[in-house]
Amino acid sequence: MIIMNSFKFILSLCITIVMLLLMDPRSFYGISFHEWAGLIIGLFFILHKILNWNWIKKVTLGFFRKCPGKARFNYLLDILMLAGITLMILSGIAIARTINFSWLNLGGTRMFWRAMHTSSSFITLALFGIHLGLHWNWVLQRLKLKKSDNAEEN
Amino acid sequence: MLRKISFAILSVAILVTGVIALRKLNYLDSSIWVFKLSSDKESERRIGHGFGEGAGRGRSEGFERSTRPGERPERPPMRELPDSIRGRFAGRGRGQGMRERNFTDSLRHEFPPEFRERGERIPPSGDFRNHNGRGRGDFREGRKINLSNVLWFLAVFASLTVITIYIDKAIKLICRKKKSRQSQ
Repeated sequence: MIIMNSFKFILSLCITIVMLLLMDPRSFYGISFHEWAGLIIGLFFILHKILNWNWIKKVTLGFFRKCPGKARFNYLLDILMLAGITLMILSGIAIARTINFSWLNLGGTRMFWRAMHTSSSFITLALFGIHLGLHWNWVLQRLKLKKSDNAEEN
Repeated sequence: MLRKISFAILSVAILVTGVIALRKLNYLDSSIWVFKLSSDKESERRIGHGFGEGAGRGRSEGFERSTRPGERPERPPMRELPDSIRGRFAGRGRGQGMRERNFTDSLRHEFPPEFRERGERIPPSGDFRNHNGRGRGDFREGRKINLSNVLWFLAVFASLTVITIYIDKAIKLICRKKKSRQSQ
């Protein structure tokens, strides 16, 4: 359990750092890093969801019955984040320059996909911030700055 | 108590930096860029100046705005321009034009001689730039990693986290007070 929690923590930290580095494609090793890391962050996100699958299952089954308000809010936020990341990766694929995704033939203008990429990434980063704020106690527990009071946090 | 005060000061500092970063990055405008874009297109279509349906990907791309809202069009740094262009800027205002000055163009060394001699354009290598490409956003070797923009994004991220932590605490406090009132 401790190992699993540590792994979850390191994975979340990696996602946060990579996401911040991806926000400016010019700052950190250029566009090729941006595109590859963008694809990899998608895999990290899926792994993050798989690791918290029990929580997702529990809240999905009890969403309209006995479920705390915070868990419901977290669930909705997670759905929005999933949508944001999907749009971010899809639009990133449509405007990719170093990786050839032309065979996917996504259609639409480059301008539209660029606007979509910028907007979805900015909104998703904001959602990431809110998500971290809601799980702050869990972060403090992992850093051993706070004692674990219950197992409600995923 | 001292700990609480120091945390409160730190939180205020993060919030202030976050607000500055929001303005600097034009965060709100960029976040709703896609919605603005669709509404702009809709109004253009109504007026009759739009690109129209079926204008084609290539044509509409010609009109593409390459910058985010509020962002100035990107210009390459002076030192990355070829010598001839750099010289043109340097000669401005000193009564010395391009023709009067004799420059060695560093770009010429990269062009194959057959193109240079015939004055032809270098043929395009293809739609996609390779990993050595020099497009917007490319990272050239020897260039320093500049994380200043990333730090502004971190400020926005941290300020949102701080706001959420305090809202969460406030909600918990209100719930606790409600419960204690009900039990009394």
